[in-house]
Amino acid sequence: MTSRDRIKAIRNQPRTMEEKRNLKKMVDKEKSKQSHRILELNCCAQCLNSISRAYRRSKNSLSELLTYISLWQKTFKVIGGKFGTSVLSYFNFLRWLLKFNIFSFIVTFSFIIIPQFTVPEKNTLQFTGLEFFTGAGYFQDTVMYYGFYTNSTVQHGSSGAPYNMQLAYIFTTGAYLIVCFFSLLFSMARNFRNNFINPHIYSRGITKLIFCWDFTITHERAVKLKQKNLSTEIRENLSEIRQENVKLTLNQQLIHVLAHLAAWVVSTGVAIACCVAVYYLAENNSEFLKNHQNPGAVLLLPFLVSCINLATPRLYSLFRLVERYETPRREVYILLIRNIFLKISIIGILCYYWLNIVAQAGEECWETLIGQEIYRLLLMDFVFSLADSLLGEFLRRLIGMQFPTSLGLQEFDIARNVLELIYAQTLVWIGTFFCPLLPFIQMITLFIMFYVKNISLMMNFQPPSKAWRASQMMTFFIFLLFFPSFTGVLCTLAITIWRLKPSADCGPFRGLPFFIHSIYSWIDTLSKRSGYLWVVWIYQNLIGSVHFFFILTLIVLIITYLYWQITEGRKIMIRLLHEQIINEGKDKMFLIEKLAKLQDMEKRANTSSFSMERRDVEQTSPLHVREHNAAHDLRFRRSVQEENPKV
Amino acid sequence: WSEMKVRFRLYSFLTVFQAHRRFCELLPPEHRSTEESLQTRVSLEQILSLPELKANPFKERICRVFSTSPARDSLSFEDFLDLLSVFSDTATPDLKSHYAFRIFDFDDDGTLNREDLSQLVNCLTGPGDDTRLSASEMKQLIDNILEESDIDRDGTINLSEFQHVISRSPDFASSFKIVL
Repeated sequence: MTSRDRIKAIRNQPRTMEEKRNLKKMVDKEKSKQSHRILELNCCAQCLNSISRAYRRSKNSLSELLTYISLWQKTFKVIGGKFGTSVLSYFNFLRWLLKFNIFSFIVTFSFIIIPQFTVPEKNTLQFTGLEFFTGAGYFQDTVMYYGFYTNSTVQHGSSGAPYNMQLAYIFTTGAYLIVCFFSLLFSMARNFRNNFINPHIYSRGITKLIFCWDFTITHERAVKLKQKNLSTEIRENLSEIRQENVKLTLNQQLIHVLAHLAAWVVSTGVAIACCVAVYYLAENNSEFLKNHQNPGAVLLLPFLVSCINLATPRLYSLFRLVERYETPRREVYILLIRNIFLKISIIGILCYYWLNIVAQAGEECWETLIGQEIYRLLLMDFVFSLADSLLGEFLRRLIGMQFPTSLGLQEFDIARNVLELIYAQTLVWIGTFFCPLLPFIQMITLFIMFYVKNISLMMNFQPPSKAWRASQMMTFFIFLLFFPSFTGVLCTLAITIWRLKPSADCGPFRGLPFFIHSIYSWIDTLSKRSGYLWVVWIYQNLIGSVHFFFILTLIVLIITYLYWQITEGRKIMIRLLHEQIINEGKDKMFLIEKLAKLQDMEKRANTSSFSMERRDVEQTSPLHVREHNAAHDLRFRRSVQEENPKV
Repeated sequence: WSEMKVRFRLYSFLTVFQAHRRFCELLPPEHRSTEESLQTRVSLEQILSLPELKANPFKERICRVFSTSPARDSLSFEDFLDLLSVFSDTATPDLKSHYAFRIFDFDDDGTLNREDLSQLVNCLTGPGDDTRLSASEMKQLIDNILEESDIDRDGTINLSEFQHVISRSPDFASSFKIVL
């Protein structure tokens, strides 16, 4: 073991400081005794050793420093102290998304925007204040949109290196998408591993309520409130368990199934109706714009989308009054699925409209138009969220204070807020190709939203009354961020790059038949140079060939099948071990009873032989106590023995 | 400071620094030098006045578990550092569940029996009369807890069973945390 691992192992021992220090002394003594016998390492190995030690030390101190100066650390402590870890998970998610946007911004700024600044074109348009809302006008000819970027190779002076804007644009997009993909994949995998340990016994969650008290809550009133809520929740759980054995009559079951069916039909119908409305408005948008000269008229479509996003989730929450679910967890999941279906279908309809109609309508610079649409959608979404937090929740609190018993203060709806974040992030990922400054705008938006939500939370909300499985829900949200959201973005961008014709007069890809032809022509130029043939070989045989992907898929499927079989085997093993523990427990009880009976018989034999002398009084009581202590001792010794093998 | 760094090599420097600063705030001003602060012990009442512990229902049990004095009523700086390191982000879930077991074991006998569990539930639900569970509700609750956690069916929960139950709740590690 390296010394760092040794220190970590000693630190993780459940002992006091004194004992740990003694242990460390003993281990160090042993180690130094051993090292006398090992020959001196040659200087090369020593050098490597010291380098790796220095690297590990610097890595550890860097990670320590990062957690110390981590963004908003004090605010998190205050939020956690008053509301607990469940509400804190929303703010953690927000901070995590902020990191994605900061990274995307740094990449696009360094590789696309700065080179474009060095070859500026004249901006002849006028600046009015309306640009901040519509994104059009003056901003059209700035680095904000795709259309402004040059398609030439930037070169400063005769000695400077040439910088191909086309390749830079496409490679930058690819680079940050790949990094986001792997980062999402690793977070998802890590969360799955920690949170979905499959119990073979169905657990009702009572032990989680009892053993997982939230130690991060430090506010006195919050603690009292949490105790009251916990008591209520325990009572509700107990009554649910009592009613589990009560079977419903056929009539009641039928009514339940009909209610579920009706709710699903209505929710799907509402979602489809909203999508049709959005598509109809989008299609007639261009004629509508020609008839109404007002530049603010372009905001109608984003306004409608934001209204739908505001009203429909609240409508879905009302279904709770009609439907009855077996567990509250199922209710939360079904509500989430309905909301996600709505949001993803709206984004899907808009993408379909943009890629099939706007891109092929023959307009100039359709990419800039799409970029402007996405900017307007995001901005309207942000304005609606601000209004909701600042005005809506404030009004709700004022109304709630009038009726102290029935409505009371509202609770922070974590699911709805996280879905709004996922929706915004999806739009940002799609839009960065058409509007490279979008991550910067989303960064500012997230920053402002954090402070607004924080202030609104402190003023208008009360701590949550029901237990919320924060880790499981976070895993589900990260999965949602990956599966419909990020994969949808990849599909949309793939269709754009492979199937659509870039506009002829603007942007870095002007004049090409497809976006992907920039890569094809680059490979062609590389194949003419002798030093880069290996790149061409990789492209033609690994990326371009079908056989390679076929073999790769086959290998991945085989590995997945093997891991699945190993998991099944381990589940069987767990079941067998569980049964073995139950049997051992029964054996132990049997042996203890037998021991007690034997001691009883011995005591009776003793008392009958020494009945004359009064010693039986002194003997029976120590024997009784010894009996109890024996049983007690056996249990305690067993638990102590179980601790020892871990050391 | 370098002497402190050497002495507490097992912990990260920042943790030691922050812990020492908070610990010295609890001492009277004349004992605040580095030498004395490592030797003196702070009484339970003073530790319980820390804002992070003041509202916690388990504050007395926490202090008793980490105290190394014979009467278990005072904490030295090393005990305080132990406490903070167990409740920090860097402690493993195994370590946390071990100490959680000791905190919940109200009679310190190495197992959680029915009395321990009922005292635990009373701590959780608070001192008020309307929030306390009735005797029948308490019995049903403890029966359910034992049914879920007591694998060998001996009527008590030992350390391994407790750790097994805790391993199924991934939220435990993030809620068993006290941030300075």
